[in-house]
Amino acid sequence: MTDQPFARLISREWQALLSDPWLLSLVTWIPLLLFFLLWAIMSAGIARDLPIAIVDLDHSAMSRALVRHYDGSPSLAVDTGFSDPQQGAAALRAGKMYAMIIIPADFEKMTILGHPPQVSAFVNSQFLLIGRIVNAALLQAQATFVTKVEMRTNLAVGPPIFDLALATALPVGTQATPLFNINTDYAQFLVAAMLPAAWQILMVAATVLSLAGEQRRQGMRQWLGTSPVAAFFSKLLPLALLFWLHGLLFLWFMYIQQGWPMHGSWPLLAFAQLLTVCASLSAASVFFFITLDATRGLSLAAAYAAPGLAFMGITFPVTDMSLWAKIWRSLLPINHYIEVQFGQVNYGASLTSALPQLTVLALFILPLLFSIYRAGRLAVPPTKDTPCT
Amino acid sequence: MTWWDTLRHEWQAVFTNSAILLTVIGGVLLYSFLYPLPYIQQVPRNQEVVVVNLDNSQLSRRLELMVDATPQVRLSARAHSLDEAEEIFLSRKLSGILVIPENFYRDLLQGRRPTLAFAGDASYFLIYGTVLEGMAGAGGTLAAEVKVHRMIMSGQPPSLATERLSGAKLNLVPVFNPTMGYVNYVIPAVFILILHQTLIMGLGILGGGQNEQQGAGQEGYWQRVAPLRLLAVRTGFFVAIYWLLFMYYFAVCFTYYQIPRLAGLAELHLLLLPFLLSATFLGVCMGSLMPRRELTTLLVLISSLPLIFASGFIWPLSAIPAPIVAASQLVPVIPAIKAFLALNQMGAEFSDILPLWYQLWLCAVLYGALAWWLLRRRRNNKIEGDGGTS
Repeated sequence: MTDQPFARLISREWQALLSDPWLLSLVTWIPLLLFFLLWAIMSAGIARDLPIAIVDLDHSAMSRALVRHYDGSPSLAVDTGFSDPQQGAAALRAGKMYAMIIIPADFEKMTILGHPPQVSAFVNSQFLLIGRIVNAALLQAQATFVTKVEMRTNLAVGPPIFDLALATALPVGTQATPLFNINTDYAQFLVAAMLPAAWQILMVAATVLSLAGEQRRQGMRQWLGTSPVAAFFSKLLPLALLFWLHGLLFLWFMYIQQGWPMHGSWPLLAFAQLLTVCASLSAASVFFFITLDATRGLSLAAAYAAPGLAFMGITFPVTDMSLWAKIWRSLLPINHYIEVQFGQVNYGASLTSALPQLTVLALFILPLLFSIYRAGRLAVPPTKDTPCT
Repeated sequence: MTWWDTLRHEWQAVFTNSAILLTVIGGVLLYSFLYPLPYIQQVPRNQEVVVVNLDNSQLSRRLELMVDATPQVRLSARAHSLDEAEEIFLSRKLSGILVIPENFYRDLLQGRRPTLAFAGDASYFLIYGTVLEGMAGAGGTLAAEVKVHRMIMSGQPPSLATERLSGAKLNLVPVFNPTMGYVNYVIPAVFILILHQTLIMGLGILGGGQNEQQGAGQEGYWQRVAPLRLLAVRTGFFVAIYWLLFMYYFAVCFTYYQIPRLAGLAELHLLLLPFLLSATFLGVCMGSLMPRRELTTLLVLISSLPLIFASGFIWPLSAIPAPIVAASQLVPVIPAIKAFLALNQMGAEFSDILPLWYQLWLCAVLYGALAWWLLRRRRNNKIEGDGGTS
């Protein structure tokens, strides 16, 4: 291949892309399908009617009132068809129920006598997120029930003043405000991290496949020719543009189409995405250039990008990660990007607060230098007088 | 070609293929360190919170100490106004703001029910929940103290006052994962997914590589073996490798990470058999279908995130759209995650997971038959000499 103007190289790349159905799918409809699928899984946003087993050993008006309070919680659906704790425990172990509540015999009697009985709730915490939802719903239902019971007692024995009765039952009130996710919507919480994680995986895979495609079709030397840098960049440019578009698409989908609150700057976010795309393509190119093999390159890329979501710090705080975890985390561009995204979307953070992340993303130019060096070495026969770049 | 020859060839095809070794052995080993890495500490601790104490009484300072003493929360900054707190919260990326209202102590004494306000970043949901738990715990303890104090003041004996703290106590007991640890939560399910995915990748590289060679007109041992024998040998070989890798995960890693193991050995192996068989057959199918060896890896890589979120351990299946749940049932890892979690983490009886066990066998039969048919088709292509695989 002789020297060609960059524009001709680019148009050649589009042709190559169109003639490779796998790669073309990977950069066009597969990302859309994947984003949609991940969003659809979480789209309910709020978990309703989680089944819990009730073992009511009292069968009194008061125990039934308590059960009604549990059932009244939108998150819970009570199943009272359990006559003894063994049955309930079996259902809990089998994963059919997310919790088992045991209301002791004499529940009503003890409450009226003023010896508060103890209701036990065994909550499945193997499913941590679901367990937390059940926990919170139970606590809330219980608090409402107890306050009602105590207020009734207080109103009966004390002055008939509603506020005073409430204050005696619950001396300190608490009010929790969930900032930046007012509805405590799990879709907003998880999808906003899942889509970027999927995006990262797709970018890394597409880069390796795209480079490997040239190797398969014509060999590295033939492809890189005498102007390896131009050939290399023209290969990455269409990918970068397409993935930037995909990134903007999922942002549009979440924060405009779905109407999730977005307080930050769109241009800054778009710029951060562009840097992320470049950083990801740059890092991924290394996997191909050290293996020079589609399969091994992709295996390395998989090891690199697949656990991305675990390291993002969305479900588990970064501050509680070990040093090794933090080091590995910093090697993935998406983890720097996600901080910019959350900072912009939630807080509308200033440009200066995003600068550290943007700088790190820009540093991902370093792997690109390695790839360019390798491309230069591969382009021409290993003789001495080689014009490298 | 005899059984023995077939096995020797398969052995050679796997152990001289660096891509398969890298994916199967390398992948399984690497992930056993990498995936638990972020969660090693198990629970979020000492989340930093800024406090705005508008009361400044002795009682409110006691409350501060109590909040600070919870394992979940650490008061790391103090602000004099809500605006200042917000600024600190944003600039130092703290987890929350605690506001103790003006006249907190006085209102409490006069029985006026002051309200403690807490604000946290709910976009990090599980962290928010943790901080809330700590705050509510400390607030609840203080409220209880005040209540006991009042009861004593009104003439009740202290022991009775403590007992009568609340109308009905709710004793919340987390079971199966009593510490609410993240390693115990994520790793058992993710390890099953890793075994499933790398197994299919390995078989995809093997099968796809042979397709590539066949497409290039090269002859190979796999064309001279009866398809059923090839399938049997390949399946037996990979199931054996993954049996060992499974034992590495569930004996070595689970012990190292102190993850509970409730399943009996016999039951664990009984469940493992249809899981490995169905995943292997699915891998052979993928390997037969894909014209190139890297394509299975690609599909497996892309499918990982949806599979883990559709498996029901993060988000309840009842909240996932029915078509997605239905479609995912055909992937062996979905019933496998459910069955292994129930059996090994939750101590279910084998009879409880029988439907899942049958489902895995059904997958095995389905993909086994399909794999056989695909291998036969590939061999016949060669005999007819049209080589139209790719």
